[in-house]
Amino acid sequence: MGKKIEIHDFEPKIMAFVCKWCTYSGADLAGTSRMDYSPNVRMIRLPCSGRIDPQFMIKAFEQGADGVFVSGCHPGDCHYNEGNYYARRRNTTFRQLLDFNGIDIERIEFSWISAAEAIKWTEVIDAFTDKVRELGRHPQYNDDIVDPYAQFLVQKKQESA
Amino acid sequence: MIEEIRNQARQLLENGEVDVVIGYAEGSDPSRTTPIFVRKAEDVEKLIYDPRCINSLPIYLNKRHEYTRKGWKKSAIIGKGCDIRAIVQLIAENQLKRDEVYILGVPCEGVVSHPDKWDGSLHDGNRASKCTGCDVMTPHETDFFPGEKPEVDRSKPYEVTSPKVANLMELELDKRFAFWRTDFDRCFKCYACREVCPHCSCNVCITDETTPSWIDPAAHKKGIFSWHLTRAMHLVGRCTGCGECTRACPMDIQVDLFNQRMKEVVQESYSYKPGYSLEDKHPLITYKVDDREDFIK
Repeated sequence: MGKKIEIHDFEPKIMAFVCKWCTYSGADLAGTSRMDYSPNVRMIRLPCSGRIDPQFMIKAFEQGADGVFVSGCHPGDCHYNEGNYYARRRNTTFRQLLDFNGIDIERIEFSWISAAEAIKWTEVIDAFTDKVRELGRHPQYNDDIVDPYAQFLVQKKQESA
Repeated sequence: MIEEIRNQARQLLENGEVDVVIGYAEGSDPSRTTPIFVRKAEDVEKLIYDPRCINSLPIYLNKRHEYTRKGWKKSAIIGKGCDIRAIVQLIAENQLKRDEVYILGVPCEGVVSHPDKWDGSLHDGNRASKCTGCDVMTPHETDFFPGEKPEVDRSKPYEVTSPKVANLMELELDKRFAFWRTDFDRCFKCYACREVCPHCSCNVCITDETTPSWIDPAAHKKGIFSWHLTRAMHLVGRCTGCGECTRACPMDIQVDLFNQRMKEVVQESYSYKPGYSLEDKHPLITYKVDDREDFIK
């Protein structure tokens, strides 16, 4: 009883940094309950949303992610009592920093998803994938902010193939 | 004014209360001054203070530098208001103890934006942009101050002094990105902005780490954007706005625009002004249960 598979011109790569106690378990519940959600998401499990360094998000964009998704426990539910509060402050400022640098903050999503909210996980991921698909390929991090030598190697490989 | 400071410095050195007095002395040409470490009482005549004294001295109090490992127990430092903000922030971050430093405050009327612009006097044409709207021209935290210290109201929110921040925020996203792309084109990653910053206090900077290498060390766009975003992020809520990063930049990249914008964001979101309190923690290492979360789904 799966969803009908649609074919799109562009499939975004979405990197998700998730908390082990809530969101990862929520996604796990979605899987064991046989719910469908967009397969574009690649998850990285971390101990807490407070562990998610903005450096990870910069690195994800650099390595070709079109969207970055960050998620953790609801406020007050953190396994380590206060990690998600720090994450909230860090992301508030980091989004403003990217915005000032001219990088579209629509490509970063932050969400609270608990271990029981498998339905919310599927909804949020599907909505975010659709949004990023509409935005298209990340032009800044794919065309401008690149390593010219790596590009040269890719080009050479394509020529020889 | 400087005579009183010299007398106080001489007394401190003769009594052995401090091991070194960090201040300014005449530089290599008439428009420049240089930092000086005075260790003998007879050398205090070399100390000067005028609007040419633009260097930020608190970097010599930062533990990252060698100077604090020379066995000097206590240093006296000549500080203008913005430098004292940096010292206060170092103390608030536990990088320095209050009794390790003796602050000789100076009344300041602003400094020149660059030594080359000095023409014998300070006027609107050559004043540094950080000096407009400054509320610490009479310093707030001092051990010695020449003359009477007038009461100044410092409760006003942080003011963005560079008009470029507002101009950039009015632009479209693409235009803003284009501005930074052309600006960062000139960056060759000399890390002068890091070396001159009084708040960069990591023993090994994240950009020097190799396992793993978070920031691409090469000076191409990827490495440059990564570096400047990381530098700005690490200074959120800690930058006290001395503007040294922009002044030290050999390629005239205005890296402190990031810091000014982030100070504005921190002021709006958490009503915090760095550099005014010896106890308050900076906003990213503390939290409130009802912080703003308008962006969270």
